[in-house]
Amino acid sequence: MAKLKIKNLKKSYENEQIIHGVNLEIKDGEFVVFVGPSGCGKSTLLRLIAGLEEITEGEISIGDKVVNEIAPSKRGVAMVFQNYALYPHMNVYKNMSFALRQARMNKDEINRRVKNAAEILQISDFLLKTPRSLSGGQRQRVAIGRAIVREPDVFLFDEPLSNLDAALRVNTRLEIARLHKRLGTTMIYVTHDQVEAMTLADKIVVLNNGKIEQIGSPIELYENPLNMFVAGFIGSPKMNFLNSKTLTKNISTIVKGAKREDIIGIRPEHLLKTTYTKSIISARLDLIENLGENVLVHMILNNDDQIIAKMNTAPKEPIGTKLHFTANIKNLHLFNKK
Amino acid sequence: MSNKSLLRLLQAPSIILLLLWMLIPLGMTLYFSFIRYVLNNLRKPEWTTPSISNWRGLGNYEYVLYKSKDFWFAVQNSLLIVGSIIILTVIFGLAISILINRTFPGRGIVRVLLISPFFVMPSVNAVLWINMILDPVLGLNGLAIEGLNQILKDLQDLPLLGRFFSLWPVFEPISFRATQTSSYAVIIMVTWQWTPFAVLIFMTSLQSEDQQQIEAAILDGANAWSRFINLTIPHLARPISIVIMIQAIFHLSLYAEIEIVSRGNGNKNLPYLIGEFSSNNIGAASATGVFAVILANIVAIFLLRIVGKSLME
Ligand SMILES: Nc1ncnc2c1ncn2[C@@H]1O[C@H](COP(=O)(O)OP(=O)(O)OP(=O)(O)O)[C@@H](O)[C@H]1O
Ligand SMILES: [Mg+2]
Repeated sequence: MAKLKIKNLKKSYENEQIIHGVNLEIKDGEFVVFVGPSGCGKSTLLRLIAGLEEITEGEISIGDKVVNEIAPSKRGVAMVFQNYALYPHMNVYKNMSFALRQARMNKDEINRRVKNAAEILQISDFLLKTPRSLSGGQRQRVAIGRAIVREPDVFLFDEPLSNLDAALRVNTRLEIARLHKRLGTTMIYVTHDQVEAMTLADKIVVLNNGKIEQIGSPIELYENPLNMFVAGFIGSPKMNFLNSKTLTKNISTIVKGAKREDIIGIRPEHLLKTTYTKSIISARLDLIENLGENVLVHMILNNDDQIIAKMNTAPKEPIGTKLHFTANIKNLHLFNKK
Repeated sequence: MSNKSLLRLLQAPSIILLLLWMLIPLGMTLYFSFIRYVLNNLRKPEWTTPSISNWRGLGNYEYVLYKSKDFWFAVQNSLLIVGSIIILTVIFGLAISILINRTFPGRGIVRVLLISPFFVMPSVNAVLWINMILDPVLGLNGLAIEGLNQILKDLQDLPLLGRFFSLWPVFEPISFRATQTSSYAVIIMVTWQWTPFAVLIFMTSLQSEDQQQIEAAILDGANAWSRFINLTIPHLARPISIVIMIQAIFHLSLYAEIEIVSRGNGNKNLPYLIGEFSSNNIGAASATGVFAVILANIVAIFLLRIVGKSLME
């Protein structure tokens, strides 16, 4: 177990800079999730920590040691890859014990660790099978087992669930959460699925274009996003952004001190239907998606922007009618456009 | 007529043709191997036409096995040549294909150059090697040894250290046309020619190797050698089997190189022995041919046992 510290980390390929000065501290035993859009550098950051990529500038330390120059296998990290990366010619037992055999650990200890990990992951029954004959979910467990047996200080997961179907994904997500509780090891987890991020993380790191946009607990990011990028990225459906032209009231009367060019963000679940006089926005009803437990109401503003409201019951008005909404003042987010 | 028999009927011509294609030569070889049949014999002119009345039973086989001194030597040499070439081409093929599997400037040209020996005609290859490279006087072999001896001589002439070098022997160039070494010459030149084949096949296969598996192995603490043994070799099992099988088929019937290097002096394989017999004794040549078929089958079964498994997977 160890804490992890990243100082002003930069990474370039040839002339192209991918990571632009990342600073991050991870406490011992914390579950940290990196989220961000595709291509923002999540995997690169993870690979830099693992030592699979060379650091261009900056410093990474695990525990109290700077690991910049330390070989990947000596850093005390274990990684679970998106496509599992199991060794196809070895059976499950050999796959899981490979690292230990490379380290010339004694047979009894190897056996103990593999058996133990297999039990935790409930894969004891297929220790002698080859990866080819396993299902996707089973392969994923073997990949996790291969990481566990090394008893690393830090686990790295790169989108471990993205190749699984929806039901299995939920199950495995729970298992990873349980595993973290049980082992108490520092874990870093890359995903672009925000449900995974919200449910698993002690701390979410939102990345965009190789820079950290915000670091915080899931609830902090949900309640106090620092900027429009984070606000739009966390939460589903996406937060609605409203400029002063689309509001029915003057922006400074809605939020004290707001300027004309500022933007107000309201999450779909915080829009409340009301009358025109009490409303802050009005929009034309366009489409209703009934999800059973709640209803997604799609609407079009007078400048043709779309907004979504999440409501408990579908509005009775016919398509095309103007609906009026307000929101609790504490659920309004004010952003100044850069 | 049912559908199935129509199908058979339509397939029949090609199958019959194939059978004839194989069976007629095999049948004739078997037939000749059991009769006395020579191209030229003044005392017994009746032996010069194949006829069942010249029946000799197993006599030709007996003659080849016990009376001709070259048979077992040829079998042994066939295996030595095929085995050595296979081992060398696989080793060189692996080494070279792994070396050029990374990106470096001029990789395209290097690859084309590496493949080019494969397109040289075998006899041209043999003539070039034996005369220009392996020749103990005019070839690179002779020139290199001459150069080494010159350096040695210069060293011996040095004022102070000369005495130390004076104990060193003068180098002798290796003559590859001598009886013991002519098979080595064949092995060297065919290895040179066929290594590109192995490189070509291994290279395409290496490109499909999963990079993440390699990274996982790096994280698991496997060094380059261990990754090669545990990941790359199993990944290449099938292409290696293909290279071994195809070369076994081709090199059991080497002829041109042996003819050009030493005309069979000190170095014969079964095809060459057949060629020598068939200058007069067709019966013995046919019997040797039957032995060659048997040897090829033994080698094939042996190889299928060892490498066939990875092909069937
Ligand atoms: N070996 C490389 N050479 C050049 N550019 C690279 C290399 N590896 C990654 N990149 C670039 O770095 C950027 C970040 O890639 P990275 O794989 O970290 O993204 P990601 O956030 O993991 O995206 P995804 O969610 O799609 O996996 C991308 O623009 C990619 O093109
Ligand atoms: Mg990625």
